[in-house]
Amino acid sequence: MGRLKEKQLLEMSKPQGDYDLCCYIVMWKGEYVAKNLVQPLEPYFANVALADPAYDVKDIIPIYYENLGLVGGPKGYLAGPGAKLYGLPYGAETSVLAYRKDIFAKHNLAVPENYDDFLKILRVIKDKEGIGALTSRGQAGHQCVHAWLLHLNPLGGAVFDDQWRPRFNDKVGVQALKFFQEVVATGPAGIPGYGQGEANTAFLQGQAAMYLDSTSFVGLVNDPSKSKVVGNVGWALHPRGVKRASQSGGLGLTMPKNAKHPEAGFLLLQWLTSKAQDKAVTKQGGAPIRNSTMEDAEVVKQYPEFVVFKEALKYSNPDWRPIIAEWDEINIQALGVAVSEALTGKKAPRRR
Amino acid sequence: MNDNTRTGWLFVAPAVVIMLVACLYPVLSAVHLGFYEWSMGTPWSEAKWAGWTSFQIAFTEPSVWRSLWTTLKFAAVSVSAEMVLGIALALALESNLRGMAFFRSLFILPMMVAPIAVGLTWRYMFDAQFGLINAVLVALGFAAKGWLAEESLAFAAIIIADIWQWTPFVFIMVVAGLANVDSSVLEAARIDGARWWTVTTRVKLPMIAHVLAITLVMRLIDAFRVLEVIYVLTFGGPGESTEVLSLHIYKTAFIGQKLGAASAISVLLLVVVMVLTWLALRMSNPMRDNEGDR
Amino acid sequence: MTLPLAGLLRYGALSLLGVLCIGPIAVMVLTSFKTQAQTFTTGLSFFFLPTLENYRDVLFDASFGRYLVNSLIVGVVATLITLLLGCMAAYGMARFSFAGRKALAYTTLMLRTVPLAVIAVPVFMIWSDWKLTNSLLGLILLYVAVNLPFTIWLLYGFVLQVPVELEEAAAIDGCRPWKVFLRIVLPLIRPGLAAAAIFTFRIAWNEFILALVLTDRSTRTLPVAASLYVTDLGVEWGKLMALATLIAMPPLIFTFLAARQVISGLTAGAVKG
Repeated sequence: MGRLKEKQLLEMSKPQGDYDLCCYIVMWKGEYVAKNLVQPLEPYFANVALADPAYDVKDIIPIYYENLGLVGGPKGYLAGPGAKLYGLPYGAETSVLAYRKDIFAKHNLAVPENYDDFLKILRVIKDKEGIGALTSRGQAGHQCVHAWLLHLNPLGGAVFDDQWRPRFNDKVGVQALKFFQEVVATGPAGIPGYGQGEANTAFLQGQAAMYLDSTSFVGLVNDPSKSKVVGNVGWALHPRGVKRASQSGGLGLTMPKNAKHPEAGFLLLQWLTSKAQDKAVTKQGGAPIRNSTMEDAEVVKQYPEFVVFKEALKYSNPDWRPIIAEWDEINIQALGVAVSEALTGKKAPRRR
Repeated sequence: MNDNTRTGWLFVAPAVVIMLVACLYPVLSAVHLGFYEWSMGTPWSEAKWAGWTSFQIAFTEPSVWRSLWTTLKFAAVSVSAEMVLGIALALALESNLRGMAFFRSLFILPMMVAPIAVGLTWRYMFDAQFGLINAVLVALGFAAKGWLAEESLAFAAIIIADIWQWTPFVFIMVVAGLANVDSSVLEAARIDGARWWTVTTRVKLPMIAHVLAITLVMRLIDAFRVLEVIYVLTFGGPGESTEVLSLHIYKTAFIGQKLGAASAISVLLLVVVMVLTWLALRMSNPMRDNEGDR
Repeated sequence: MTLPLAGLLRYGALSLLGVLCIGPIAVMVLTSFKTQAQTFTTGLSFFFLPTLENYRDVLFDASFGRYLVNSLIVGVVATLITLLLGCMAAYGMARFSFAGRKALAYTTLMLRTVPLAVIAVPVFMIWSDWKLTNSLLGLILLYVAVNLPFTIWLLYGFVLQVPVELEEAAAIDGCRPWKVFLRIVLPLIRPGLAAAAIFTFRIAWNEFILALVLTDRSTRTLPVAASLYVTDLGVEWGKLMALATLIAMPPLIFTFLAARQVISGLTAGAVKG
């Protein structure tokens, strides 16, 4: 994470670049546009010589389209007047709750529907089953902020208010952090050191009963060479706080401004994100970006989870994190340190 | 000593050119860059002259001072542990045992392992769930610990990895120094009835004082340069507990993308290292001047 | 101190130290032969059915060959250039008096102390300007520059130990300084050259922070590839350790084979003061 970006920034700030298409993490879109490094896609879709008439933009999952593609609306990174399309999703995701059906059945537990139940069940699982309740990312920096945002959003909080005043340390921010602390206390050992890899591993190796993370996790869960829990995993919606608000994120594709052959880049982009290609990639274990793929009978037969995932997408929050140009710095060097220090108990969560 | 100045310069010139261009020039540029406000991905022509602002911010930023403190703590703890352990082991195990050469060739191996491999291996061994360290602790009847998940333990982890890698270096240096001590002096001391402890502290160690000093300097310099193992092992976390100054510079530059600010902090690190080296040089001069030798 | 018991105790202690030194290296190598499932067996597991799966995955990765070649080119070329320039400079500084010699000696020593993080930003910028980023040449130039100070310091100590009378005799026989250097000095400082070669190669082959900043996917070196291998998708310890083993082995093998030279190189400068 983050190590690709310096390369891209360097590459795209050259007068003429070597790449006609680039893949970016959603968090970078604002910065790339602010630094004038990527191109708007509308002129290409308007160009009859390039655009495929059968290409169905409306079929792309709207939340992914907005989250990964749009820049320049009233809030900068959301839809609205002035927003332009700067890229298309390719490998996007939202959050769902993976849980161990066998453990929940054994202790006759109900899958948590809201955050009150969620909080209670953490301790119950820890006490009854003796393994970690919920595994989570927790490493200082991006990883722990990501996990904290997962709880902050449904509980009704945000990093900034509508006036761009920081509000991450208000009552809800503290509540989300305290919830996260309970996750650490009842989870598998070592969460404050977990990157996404370690968090995945704890669930895949049966050291934790639940995992609240991305839909893209499903491929690993079903892979018997990597997972000890194949066949025992159920999927549920991200529990409701004051509202439902699941994550929005992932990767997008776009053409750099300094591309030598942006037309070729566009044609490739169009092909990669087409209906047929999206289905083919999904069947190989990729993450779909189109409603038609999510609803495809053949795909749903292969991935019964998609029924839940499609429901989860309804609640995916495009304003899940502020994707402003400065986000990486706030994320990693400010919030990422503060949240981490709360997890290790160095500092107590406190309102300001 | 040959007084042929021109030939002398011809011998050193190629190395000097490379060092000037690719080492000294970047170092001086770091100082220069510190006066600009410049973000990665924007052309250099858009960099803004910022005067002393970056330096002011760098020197008033609490996180900079925290990571400087972390660096100092890391250097002090790891280097003193390595010196004490290395010297003690060398004193206990020196002497011309058969097979010593074989053991010495084992002992130099850790310092040759790639930092990325060191970092990854220790990260795996410190893993809270599957790691060897916790398995050993449990087997010995202790509780398993969340090594990389707690601030003090993560700090201990980077120290342990460093001690593993560099104590053998101290050991080898001290053994080599002791091998050079004139044995007749030791015999004389023993005949005078001095005990082992007295011989060691009054005769042996003073006679290898310059070796100890150079070893200490080399370890200190490297402890201040440390970056790669920590980058892989903890990436500075949890919190900022293992964020040494080098890593802070890296993050400011390549994650925060504030190249000017990162350069200003670099200057701070450079000054600290230079001052320490200068102090250490006053104690011993490793680049001995050979004019007086012959 | 010649009691057999004392001797045994010493061997015992030395062996224990040897085990501690080798332990983590052994963990790395053993883990590289484990399957994904075996890497997650908790506890002390030294007995298992080894698999070559990780090596197969790593070695047959389409890009591995390229990264290996890049690493070899950078490591070998940087080492050769450093040695050549380093021994010339060491000889010049040890045997000739010229204006600025002392300043040069101190500057060299000071450059040895520069943390790589300090030059990361300016080098990134200057190299971009000179079109040296994403090229192996840029990386080689940098590694030569950062290795020269230590190499000069190390070889300087070795040159000083060459009996100056030999050189004087050769000079009287009409040898020009270059010939004296090549015929008399170089052969005599061979152990120093071996040590310097290993120390330089160790940096040029192992370094990954500057390489991470200065390379792209076609010029990437092995350690950079390994650092990128710690993906967000899973910690595949078997594969990571296979890659780590492959990176760690060349310097380890050279070091073990040339241990005597390495140790004399390390200690010569300090001990014979």
